[in-house]
Amino acid sequence: MKLSQEHIQQLHDFTRKHYVEWFDVQLELVDHLANGIEAQWEQNPKLSFEEALEKEFKKFGIFGFMDVVSQTENSMGRKYRHFLINEVKEWFKIPQILSIIVLFIMFFLTFKSQLSEVIILSFYVIFGIWMAYKSFALRRLFKKRRSTSKKWLLEHIIFQQASGILFIAIVNIFNMLNLTNGSETSIYGAVFMSLLFTIAVIVSVVSLHILPNKADQLLKQTYHSYVTN
Amino acid sequence: MSNSKLYKGSLNTIILKLLSENGKMYGYEITQKVKDLTKGELNITEGALYPALHKLEAEGLLDVEIAKVDNRLRKYYKLTESGTKETVSKLQELAEYIKTMQNLVNPKLA
Repeated sequence: MKLSQEHIQQLHDFTRKHYVEWFDVQLELVDHLANGIEAQWEQNPKLSFEEALEKEFKKFGIFGFMDVVSQTENSMGRKYRHFLINEVKEWFKIPQILSIIVLFIMFFLTFKSQLSEVIILSFYVIFGIWMAYKSFALRRLFKKRRSTSKKWLLEHIIFQQASGILFIAIVNIFNMLNLTNGSETSIYGAVFMSLLFTIAVIVSVVSLHILPNKADQLLKQTYHSYVTN
Repeated sequence: MSNSKLYKGSLNTIILKLLSENGKMYGYEITQKVKDLTKGELNITEGALYPALHKLEAEGLLDVEIAKVDNRLRKYYKLTESGTKETVSKLQELAEYIKTMQNLVNPKLA
């Protein structure tokens, strides 16, 4: 005996009740539970759906689906970092590398100038506002997408993780500002700071702008044609 | 399963080997295949299988395909190019391990 569409929906609800929020994780667990239940029915057709489900779920152990969910989150995080690094690498190709060189020189000249603190502070404020605005806009966009589609883990990472990187970038830039206080920056110091600033800018632009714009393409690549928005 | 701890370290190798022989497989199919092949001696637990599959996927050793089967979606796993290479070296490692264990527990046979 095969499970009905209604049973499949019940299984999705069951996984959601057991803290499996992401549809990509749900679909795999639902298929697994469904196969298990169908196999039980072959042995004992009188068994109720609920009883068979309970037996199958017990096989996952006392932590239920927790390990599966956390491992999937780790794996998807890795996949996201892979996408991020690939996009950052694109910036080091011709002609994009020219913009990196220009950015780097600008930062370098700033750090060597008398007004470095004022300029860096203004940059910090402007960039901070841009990042806050972007991450706010992404959250709104994510909510909008949410109301029309299933929850895909990668989508969540693309739209929400960006703010995590934002936070790290802000803290780092803040620490760097403290470093420049007082003494004049040496050539090596200026090169190092300029490099960090350039990379921070690129990573932020990639995570807050480029990857979210490419979200649909990345989701399709990861989940193939089963992403429906 | 007689002793799950002894098999635990070989779970990835078992998964890779099965996929190299069967092409694409889904989670439930892997658990059943292992049960059949070992005549019920080894029972891969669900709680260990899926985390292992997802880890191998993140390492780039497995690729994923989603297909509609009956009235539900099914996630299939298959080896990537580096997964195929890794299978060979993992199997070699396992063979050496078995040989070493044999030398230790039964020196007469070696």
